[in-house]
Amino acid sequence: MTALLYEGVGLIQRYGEREVLNLPRLEVEKGAVLALTGPNGCGKSTLLRILAFLESPAAGELRFTLADAVQSGEAARRQVSLLLQEPYLLRMNVQGNVLLGLRLRGLRLSRPEAGRIFEQVMWDVGFARPKDFADRGPAELSGGERQRVALAARLALDLPVLLLDEPTANVDAESARAIAEAVSAAGRRGTTVLCATHDPALIRALNAQELRLGRAWDEV
Amino acid sequence: MHYLLDGFLGALRLLAHLDAETLAIISATLRSTGYAMTAALVLGLPLGFLLGYGDFPGRRFFRLISDTLLAFPTVLIGLLVYAFITARGPLGHLGLLFTLKGMAIGQAVLALPIVVSWTAQAVEDLDPRCRQTLLTLGAKARQLALYSLWECRYAVLMVCVTAFGRVITEVGVAMMLGGNIRYSTRTMTTAIALETSKGEFAQGIALGLVLLLMAFVVNLLLALCRKRGRT
Repeated sequence: MTALLYEGVGLIQRYGEREVLNLPRLEVEKGAVLALTGPNGCGKSTLLRILAFLESPAAGELRFTLADAVQSGEAARRQVSLLLQEPYLLRMNVQGNVLLGLRLRGLRLSRPEAGRIFEQVMWDVGFARPKDFADRGPAELSGGERQRVALAARLALDLPVLLLDEPTANVDAESARAIAEAVSAAGRRGTTVLCATHDPALIRALNAQELRLGRAWDEV
Repeated sequence: MHYLLDGFLGALRLLAHLDAETLAIISATLRSTGYAMTAALVLGLPLGFLLGYGDFPGRRFFRLISDTLLAFPTVLIGLLVYAFITARGPLGHLGLLFTLKGMAIGQAVLALPIVVSWTAQAVEDLDPRCRQTLLTLGAKARQLALYSLWECRYAVLMVCVTAFGRVITEVGVAMMLGGNIRYSTRTMTTAIALETSKGEFAQGIALGLVLLLMAFVVNLLLALCRKRGRT
């Protein structure tokens, strides 16, 4: 039996009076590739933010086996990377954005080493000539390119957990294919992947087990 | 109208010959403004960041106070600081009245609400995804603060430039706390006021030209900031 990574019981989230998530039970095994599906407003993005330790549930318990999230939310957060539905790139060039997470973790990379990692992860997300993009600013990228650069920044960290919030929702077919391939490869390397999506093609490409959240909050 | 022309030509002569008194006035202006801006930025940037980013009881109240102080009349600032640094005041023993440092204190009080309120505004205007992105990439609290401030650097630079413009063109505080002492605390604005009242237009116009040049440089900087901020 594979060890559990997340174990949640009675997870409820409220914003003001509005209940946006009510999940009686959640179990995620290490190395699993899961697709979170369900109608808009069923709490997929909220659940991902909770699993990324960006917010705490209003009620319920969430156990995370890689770090004690109660004692140190920061330690738990550093094991998980989350790609937002509309990713934000900082006002620095593409290479700076891709390597930002490594710098935040105090890694001092030599110039050749930084270049090698940058090229590798950019290649992984479908950029045929990464060097051409290294010095570009976020404003010089298309929506699909921004999404892929943001994904490259998460892949560069090579963390045990990768959470994605509708990564192919606003991108062209070519970018969607590149994203699916990169995430699928991460899953094959043993990364636990949870991907909120409405895209059946992405679910098929990831060969993901489906977790359906419903408005009736059926047990998962 | 010939007196205006004479004044303008006299001004050019003063500037061309690097008139000692004119240079002393420009130097006093830049030094007092420099002291004031340093103090206002050292105190104001962290306070502004806290007000814009922090989540603590009373945050809205402090923000309201800071915003209200934006409309603080300069003569009232002069009066309050005067009361503190005059010989009979609590800080009288420091001998700050009618010195550049005394003047700079008043100017720093003038600039502080601008730096605090507008830095807070710049930080509040940051895209909320910036914070989430930094956190999900592994930023610690200090890194989160520094990178967020860096992210709104052009807006913060505009805050600095605006505060600088406000301080360097101010006359009430400089007059009350500096005393307009020749070769000591006479600044460009107080000198212009004095020379105009004496009917001596040449030095007034010369200093006005320098102020105008500085205003141009400040606005050029602002335009560059806006342009870079958009990219």
